[in-house]
Amino acid sequence: MPYTLIDHTADLGMRVSAPTVIALFEEAALALVDIMGGRSSLGTTRLTIEVQGIDRVDLLVRWLQEILYLVEVRGLRIRGFEILYFQDTELRAEAEGAYSREPLEAEIKAVTYHNLQIREIDNVWAATIILDT
Amino acid sequence: MKALAVRRIDPFRIEIARQHPMRTRGLIYANSKIERTLDDNVLQQVANVATLPGIIGPSVAMPDIHWGYGFPIGGVAAFSLEDGIVSPGGVGYDINCGICCISTRLSYEDIGSRMDRLIASLFRNIPSGVGSSNKGMEVGSKEFSQVLTKGARWAVKRGYAPDEDLDAHEESGCIQGADPDCVSRKAIERGQPQLGTLGSGNHFLELDRVDMILDREKADAFGLFEGQVVVLVHTGSRGMGHQVCDDYVHSMVSAASRYGIELPDRQLACAPVKSREGREYLSAMACAANFAFANRELITFLVRQTFEEFFKKSYGHLGMQLLYDCCHNIAKMERITWEGSEVTACIHRKGATRSLPPGDKRLPVRFARTGQPVLVPGDMGRMSYILAGSDNASETFYSACHGAGRLLSRHEAKKRSRGREIIQELLRKDIHAMAASRSTLAEEIPDAYKDVSDVVDTITGAGIAKAVARLKPLAMIKG
Repeated sequence: MPYTLIDHTADLGMRVSAPTVIALFEEAALALVDIMGGRSSLGTTRLTIEVQGIDRVDLLVRWLQEILYLVEVRGLRIRGFEILYFQDTELRAEAEGAYSREPLEAEIKAVTYHNLQIREIDNVWAATIILDT
Repeated sequence: MKALAVRRIDPFRIEIARQHPMRTRGLIYANSKIERTLDDNVLQQVANVATLPGIIGPSVAMPDIHWGYGFPIGGVAAFSLEDGIVSPGGVGYDINCGICCISTRLSYEDIGSRMDRLIASLFRNIPSGVGSSNKGMEVGSKEFSQVLTKGARWAVKRGYAPDEDLDAHEESGCIQGADPDCVSRKAIERGQPQLGTLGSGNHFLELDRVDMILDREKADAFGLFEGQVVVLVHTGSRGMGHQVCDDYVHSMVSAASRYGIELPDRQLACAPVKSREGREYLSAMACAANFAFANRELITFLVRQTFEEFFKKSYGHLGMQLLYDCCHNIAKMERITWEGSEVTACIHRKGATRSLPPGDKRLPVRFARTGQPVLVPGDMGRMSYILAGSDNASETFYSACHGAGRLLSRHEAKKRSRGREIIQELLRKDIHAMAASRSTLAEEIPDAYKDVSDVVDTITGAGIAKAVARLKPLAMIKG
């Protein structure tokens, strides 16, 4: 997985990087699901996800928060994501996976805005996201 | 912001001088040992809170302070009802995460070698762990609205708790102004199945022995004696609070810019207390807080029931009385004394507890002469404390510390516990631990926390609270 866990006293941080901003959003979503223990090798369900935000950072938080909800509350386990439409304030994506009631590995309360920045340096997009655990 | 100017005022207080764009100074309660645990991140967070509009008095931090997101954990701030703000991030995602203490008439010797069986029975009967639900206590939508508006009173009405428990709750177990219409469908969906569950992370249920009485008169009034077994329950509003906070942080990110509020960190998103967004958040937050009061009462019911089955005696006969239940993460309209006059302010506590001194009119008769019980849990392997609110609490807007405070990140704690058998380590100290997940246990190792005795030394030294009793852990459940 192209993410690393970073130390934060109260919570958990994940640093994600990817070659494009769209790939960054997809990788961040997979990283979150991986930390929660919500990955699946099955792909019996496809679900469309639409999210809006006031800017790119807000959009990233809303996108991850929606995935957290689908995994924790709806029991969706994820094989992969594909972002079909992307603007700084809006995205539409498809999630592929399967429903399961198997317990998750980690309870994530929320995805926070704390010090969240999305940066592009030398064609590498990166973000550090703090999760409340 | 320039480098912060930090200076020690006295053995228990450190000040961050006001500088642009701070509107007030920062005030951190720390003895020399606690001071060594303070890093730049945490000082910056205290300073950031001081930039928010309408702040009254200093941006306060308790000795169990540690790096949070937006507000520090252990932060306390008062905001004017006229020109001040309310911030969901200043309460946190686990709204009314809090603690209660159930005292018993049992001595350690009454349990003795049966401790492992007792904790195993509690572990069986009380749902805990990631995403835990409680089928036996699930309620329908109409009933759930009652939980959200009535809190602990709902639990009493449904026969889960005796009337007298209400006197032992902060706000009598119900925050006024709760409006379920301000709560999203997602929040209901996340919270409803989790009523009557402990959860995971730092939530726990613990049996302790009163190890030392530190103030005989107050201990007598609290019904505490040496060797006594007491139960601590630490949990909150579960997915319900997480979602309410998330919904309103999101809406206030836009609201803050509309109201011209500059945020040094978006996680400090806020809106004026008087605004529609502010009022709606407080109504939704009250729902989540009431869920948490009801949740701790349901777990208290399960504790009492388990003890009854185990000892074949009624919980009344076992003397299982709720000593106190208080909030750690909350925003409330409270009367405070500031610069000689009494005002009502919106007090934010994020990882702090209320601490009312003797004689405060808000105290029930039982605690009028002692001050409010302040429960300060330590880590799994060391001590916990029961304190009583004291006179200097007025300088912290009647607030005190809520625990030991984390020292290591969860990630670092896991790394340090690799290859260690935590349950065996605790057992060698005669502490029986059970956990739904090994991972939680690894994150919660004693080394992950500050020494709670340093925290208590600071808060009692500053006269915010008085030490009443010291507790030693006997057995615990981690989520």
